Amino acid sequence: MRFFRKTNIDFMGKRHLWYTVSGIVILVGMISFFVKGPHYGIDFLGGTEIVVTFQDAVPISTVRAAMDKIGIGKTAEIMTFGSDKDILIRTSTQGEGSSIGDLIRGGLKQEFPSNPFVVQKEDKIGPKIGAELRLNAIYAVFALLIAIMVYIGFRFKFVYGIGAVASLFHDVLVTLGLVSLFDGVLNLELSQNMVAAFLTLVGLSVNDTVVIFDRIRENQKIFRNMDLITVINKSLNETLSRTIITSGTVFTVLLVLFFFGGEVNRGFSFTLLIGITTGTYSSIYIASAIVVEWALRINRKAAQHK
Amino acid sequence: MSNYKGKLVLIGIAVALALWLLWPTYRDYQISSQLKQLSGTDSLQFVEKHETQIREYKAKRIKLGLDLQGGMRVVLEVNVVKMLEDLAKNKDDVFTQVMNEVAEEVKHSEDSPVKILRAKFEARNIRLSRYYGSLRDDNDKVASSLEDESKKAIDRAMEIVSNRVNQYGVSEPTIQKLGGQRIIVDLPGVSKESEVRQLLQGTALLEFKLLKDPEVANKVMYAIDQHLASIDTTGDLATLPSDTSAQALAADTMAAATDTGAAATSVDSTKINTPEGELTPSEFAKKHPFFSLAMSIQQYPGVAIVEQQNRDRVRRLLDREDVQRLIPSDMEFLWSAKPDERLTSGGKKYFILYPVKKAAELTGGVIVNARATIDPSFNRPIVEMEMNSEGAREWARITGANINKRIAVVLDNSVFSAPNVINKITGGRSQIEGMDNIDEARLLEIVLKAGALPAPVEIIEQRSVGPSLGEDSIRGGVFSGLLATALVVVFMAFYYRVAGGVADVALVFFVLFLLAALAAFQATLTLPGIAGIILTLAVAVDANVLIYERIREELATGKTMRAALDTGYKRAWTAIFDSNLTVLITGVILYQYGTGPVQGFALTLIIGILASMFSAIFITRVMFNMLLDRFLTVIDIG
Repeated sequence: MRFFRKTNIDFMGKRHLWYTVSGIVILVGMISFFVKGPHYGIDFLGGTEIVVTFQDAVPISTVRAAMDKIGIGKTAEIMTFGSDKDILIRTSTQGEGSSIGDLIRGGLKQEFPSNPFVVQKEDKIGPKIGAELRLNAIYAVFALLIAIMVYIGFRFKFVYGIGAVASLFHDVLVTLGLVSLFDGVLNLELSQNMVAAFLTLVGLSVNDTVVIFDRIRENQKIFRNMDLITVINKSLNETLSRTIITSGTVFTVLLVLFFFGGEVNRGFSFTLLIGITTGTYSSIYIASAIVVEWALRINRKAAQHK
Repeated sequence: MSNYKGKLVLIGIAVALALWLLWPTYRDYQISSQLKQLSGTDSLQFVEKHETQIREYKAKRIKLGLDLQGGMRVVLEVNVVKMLEDLAKNKDDVFTQVMNEVAEEVKHSEDSPVKILRAKFEARNIRLSRYYGSLRDDNDKVASSLEDESKKAIDRAMEIVSNRVNQYGVSEPTIQKLGGQRIIVDLPGVSKESEVRQLLQGTALLEFKLLKDPEVANKVMYAIDQHLASIDTTGDLATLPSDTSAQALAADTMAAATDTGAAATSVDSTKINTPEGELTPSEFAKKHPFFSLAMSIQQYPGVAIVEQQNRDRVRRLLDREDVQRLIPSDMEFLWSAKPDERLTSGGKKYFILYPVKKAAELTGGVIVNARATIDPSFNRPIVEMEMNSEGAREWARITGANINKRIAVVLDNSVFSAPNVINKITGGRSQIEGMDNIDEARLLEIVLKAGALPAPVEIIEQRSVGPSLGEDSIRGGVFSGLLATALVVVFMAFYYRVAGGVADVALVFFVLFLLAALAAFQATLTLPGIAGIILTLAVAVDANVLIYERIREELATGKTMRAALDTGYKRAWTAIFDSNLTVLITGVILYQYGTGPVQGFALTLIIGILASMFSAIFITRVMFNMLLDRFLTVIDIG
């Protein structure tokens, strides 16, 4: 059974079109990101977050009224968490120990005396930790990008390292933008789990890029006289089958996680779904394309010197 | 002829090892389900019979993270600045000021508090030995001994916290140090959160603080009251006293505070008679926003009485920056730990707000013993405390110098009692009163005995997950895992035929080894960890896909099955190696920078990559060789 018989698509020929597409997607995403602002969860802002399950469904407006009464209505985020009986309340107001949590629970008891609730989850993060986690997340992303650039520059040629890191940057920006866009439809606030998702998508994207680079490296050794663009196109076509199958498998697995993995995993799997798609795309149209552009520049320089 | 026999033995050993590692998890699961079906004395007997077994299985099984089994995680941070404050002697105003500056700077700086303290004193040309150590010690010596103390403080804090947690009886708690100043406490299965919070938050920083003289205290409270009235144009701050008795108290407040001696009397329930004339309750509240909440009465001079429901409001008023500026820097307000037993007008509960001298006269580090008992003369529960010789000496000096003044016994910034000093106390024995019943006294005894912490400990992070969310998460995770695996298995069989089947069998081994490795490393499985397993499943499949696509290509060029197999594996290896290594690097970095659940994810990622390489490459190869040798000449690879 084959999905693809021998293909001969001119990937690199159409690359300028795809540069534009990428540019537009990133632009739209970044506009959303800067207009809406980054939606930090309490991991990064500090504060208190509590998830409760009521016996009967409650309208969010009433919950907000209850929160107004205890004084945090203006800063509190209130949303459903799965079903409409599960309510998530989050506020960045700080209090001693668990006083905000107590305050919220007391307020809810007063507002809904005949509708008992169970606390599913309660988190309280002090302000110092929030700032630290934010810093750590940024360090982690940079550490990863540098490590990857070094490793690939070392195993292949330096320009491949640049290409790989450029494609990763692209992936992070696209995903960040789309996450910001869809935030509201789903609970996509930036938390530690989300950072893990971003770092994972970087890893998976590089995984994909490396397989293609490996094939290019091999073909270059075999077809020494072929020009680089042809070699790259050939390699892309040869690896197409594997790329689609593997990405498809990961995508399917993530889809399963998205639908059945529980509310906690939803943001995580959504991010990765976007990530794996752009990761596959960027291996071709960013990473390999950069190598092509570089090769063209070298050619032009060589032609000038002649 | 490949010597796959040797390799088969190797695989056999690996499988046996894996099963052995996973056996405790399986047995523990069995026992738990059995226990759920028994009840009462039956279950107790069962537990007794199998006690050692149960403990062993629990220790060696795969640990579930708090997000899967429910429980609470608390991150505590040692407040070194407070410790430095308490260690000092001869504290004066300059000292207090410097400490305030140090406290502020510590919030923003990465430097150790001791370093900052030293810099500030040196900038003022003051020797550290003025407040620490002996007079002849130079700054280097003092600084290094202070650094030493702060390092020891965190170690002692860890000991004390473990002590308390163990005494309390949580099953399988985990207590770890994090960095230089933090402790992580994991308490699985804890449902009585409020008690645990009390236990941990009750960090038993015991201090003895002098109460400020009533004149001073009243002046400050009056200033606060007037200030709030003057800025409060919209009347927002005004809170009405809720009933007549409270109004009467409020009226007393005015008399006490302005010290006119004019006993204001409540004329009727609608008006309050004050030195300023008759006021309605709302007018009164508007003119005296502070006193209408924090009332001052003649029977309790120098302190304020606050209704339970108004405590938060008063707290917030006191926290305001403009109000803070009105409070002298050597003074602070502390709340009573409990409502006052004697004030119960109209069925309401009243807390007492004590104005105390900020710097403690003595700290609890000098307590050597504590005992909960019933005071025979008044028949109420008390805790007797015994001090060491140094403490006894200091205590004698302090009580001697402050006869007829009040000293507050402060536990974690709550005042337990504030008795009058009747005479000098030598011999170092004291009592804490104010508990409702003997159980409370016993809890206090544990807290005191397990040690007074050398430095107070703050809760900077606290997460708790209820058990039902945990169960849901497990169910969701397991279901997703099974479904994902099923889809992958079916796909591989369809697309790669027999070879796909081989890959599927290898997948089973992969999962087995992965779980066994988790058990071996005593790793904790979290919900992101389950996501990690599912992800590495896909990566495992990728390795197979790389190999198989290569084999197909080689076959297309006309090679024999065996030759194609050989080349396929060889050529695919570099791609697998490089790509898996980058995911591995990702996992390592995630592990370094992440905490808790993220680390769980990173660990499963790392272990998963390694296990997947083993099963996707080694095991499939052996299987192929076996098949070609024994059963088939050609393997259908689709």
